[in-house]
Amino acid sequence: MLRVKSPQDFWAGVLFVLFGCAALWIGRDYALGSLTRMGPGYLPTVLSWALLAIGVLLMARALALNGPAIEPSRIAPQLFILAAIVAFALAIERFGLAPAVMLVTVTAAFASREMRWREAVALGLGLAALCVVLFVNLLGQPFRVFAF
Amino acid sequence: MDLLANLATGFGAAVTPLNLGFCLFGCLIGTLIGVLPGIGPIATIAMLLPVTFGLSPLGALIMLAGIYYGAQYGGSTTAILVNLPGESSSVVTCIDGYQMARRGRAGAALAVAAVGSFVAGCVGTVVIAAFAPVLAAFAVKFRSPEYFALMLFGLVAAVILAHGSVLKAVGMVVLGLLVGLAGTESQSATARFTFGVPELYDGVDFVPLAMGLFGLAEIMSNLDRGDDKRAVASGISSLWPDREEIRRATPAILRGTVLGCLLGILPGGGAVLASFAAYTLEKKVSRFSKQFGQGAVEGVAAPEAANNAGAQTSFIPLLTLGIPSNPVMALMMGAMLIQGIAPGTAIISERPELFWGMVASMWIGNLMLIIINLPLIGIWVRLLRVPYRLLFPCIVVLCCVGAYSVNASTFLILMMAGFALLGYLFAKLGCEGAPFLLGFVLGPLMEENFRRSMVLSFGDPMIFLQRPISLCILLASLALIVLIVIPQLRTRRDQAFQE
Repeated sequence: MLRVKSPQDFWAGVLFVLFGCAALWIGRDYALGSLTRMGPGYLPTVLSWALLAIGVLLMARALALNGPAIEPSRIAPQLFILAAIVAFALAIERFGLAPAVMLVTVTAAFASREMRWREAVALGLGLAALCVVLFVNLLGQPFRVFAF
Repeated sequence: MDLLANLATGFGAAVTPLNLGFCLFGCLIGTLIGVLPGIGPIATIAMLLPVTFGLSPLGALIMLAGIYYGAQYGGSTTAILVNLPGESSSVVTCIDGYQMARRGRAGAALAVAAVGSFVAGCVGTVVIAAFAPVLAAFAVKFRSPEYFALMLFGLVAAVILAHGSVLKAVGMVVLGLLVGLAGTESQSATARFTFGVPELYDGVDFVPLAMGLFGLAEIMSNLDRGDDKRAVASGISSLWPDREEIRRATPAILRGTVLGCLLGILPGGGAVLASFAAYTLEKKVSRFSKQFGQGAVEGVAAPEAANNAGAQTSFIPLLTLGIPSNPVMALMMGAMLIQGIAPGTAIISERPELFWGMVASMWIGNLMLIIINLPLIGIWVRLLRVPYRLLFPCIVVLCCVGAYSVNASTFLILMMAGFALLGYLFAKLGCEGAPFLLGFVLGPLMEENFRRSMVLSFGDPMIFLQRPISLCILLASLALIVLIVIPQLRTRRDQAFQE
């Protein structure tokens, strides 16, 4: 029975293998050429195979040698941070800069265990004002502050 | 006398109210993020890249450079007072700096660190002024084979200097190279890895990648560990080191400076490597080596001098060869490209006011920093009490607005979220971001230079071995690999035997 002795290395290997395979598949139609006359597909293909090989090697090594375990994740904070970014992407053109900044701040604040409503809203107001002054007034970016 | 005339040009360009303002702003931001743990110069410079769109090229570079070396000053404050590295380059300063603070010598430790940084900064500036033009003149002879070899050397160095597993670092470089190749290929106009998304035709944009991978991923990793509460150590009494401390710190500062200057120039080097090496060296040569770890003043002086010297001299490869030696320099290169400046041998001769202006600004910046950091230390200490739950939403906001302002595209924001997740996974799996970023930046350049070399030699790959300079560089890379791989194999065999 095979046992993973080095989880970090093993899953890093899996990640590399996945990326290698994906790159090979996406790049399957790029013209290869040869080493001396490289086509657009030459380097991507070589690198993909290299990545694949490194990944396999890492996985194999992780079965033989002991290594550090993966530290447990708290899922909630990561989700709130990612959700905040996605929310900003959705809100910036629909509602404008100031509401979008407010939305990101409050959503992101949920990622902390010590989140406090009043504090998060105050921070959001401050950051919205700061972003408007910095990006719109000082840097002249063509953002709409309110878009509705 | 040429040097003096050039420096005069530089000071002329740097000492305008606006550029002095950029320098001060960069130094302040640098100190701020240096003091605050959990946010480093890479993430900060990435966040400020979009802000530099509207600035003059010199102003932008002065500000960004100020952030990098300013962070070296700020990092020591947190290390000494809180026993947390404010910056990865001040990890070793914690060891003896915090012990000094516990013995009531916090003020002295801060002063030694700041003065050491200042001395090193001045020397580093002179080294750049004296050495960079010589190297640039030499590098004019370089053609694509030499550049290809140099970039390869840089990648090898980045792999070897990465912490942890070499194999994982190689994987990260390769992955970075692959991501770097995305976009429209230059010769056949084939769109590679673009998924039909117009935003990807010019390649993966640097700003969202760096912000996601370094800024946001870092937040996610920090939150994983729970919000940390920091206890700021005892108050600061006097900033004056006593005579004994001065006597011991002086040679340590000088040794750290020399070592930092040397290691900064190396590809893959920079502030972090310099500080670690300087601490190790000091421990070996000091007569008081038993006191290390219990508050030896040399253990503060040498690494703090070295990290600042290294931060400054790491500009040399970028400004003379156009090759970034560490992730911060990769970002500086991004900033230059945004401004329409091609980093390379031509900068010094064609844009002297830019090069010398930057050199002059570094000296001015160091002068500003010692004032910002010593008399005003109380302000920074108070900043340390700002809880992380207020800090990280600010970073998320700045990253989002920054990514959107690159070209008003929501796709880039989503891409940044993707890189944030990827960066978080990397951190979980013990994979380092630095080799990835270098691979990403160097990938397209290496492909281009390899192609040009093949054209130059009519398709003979031996060209890399026939040209003496390129041969030397390749041999040096090989030597580096051998140097590292042999002890690794040995320990692995030992480990296998033990089981």
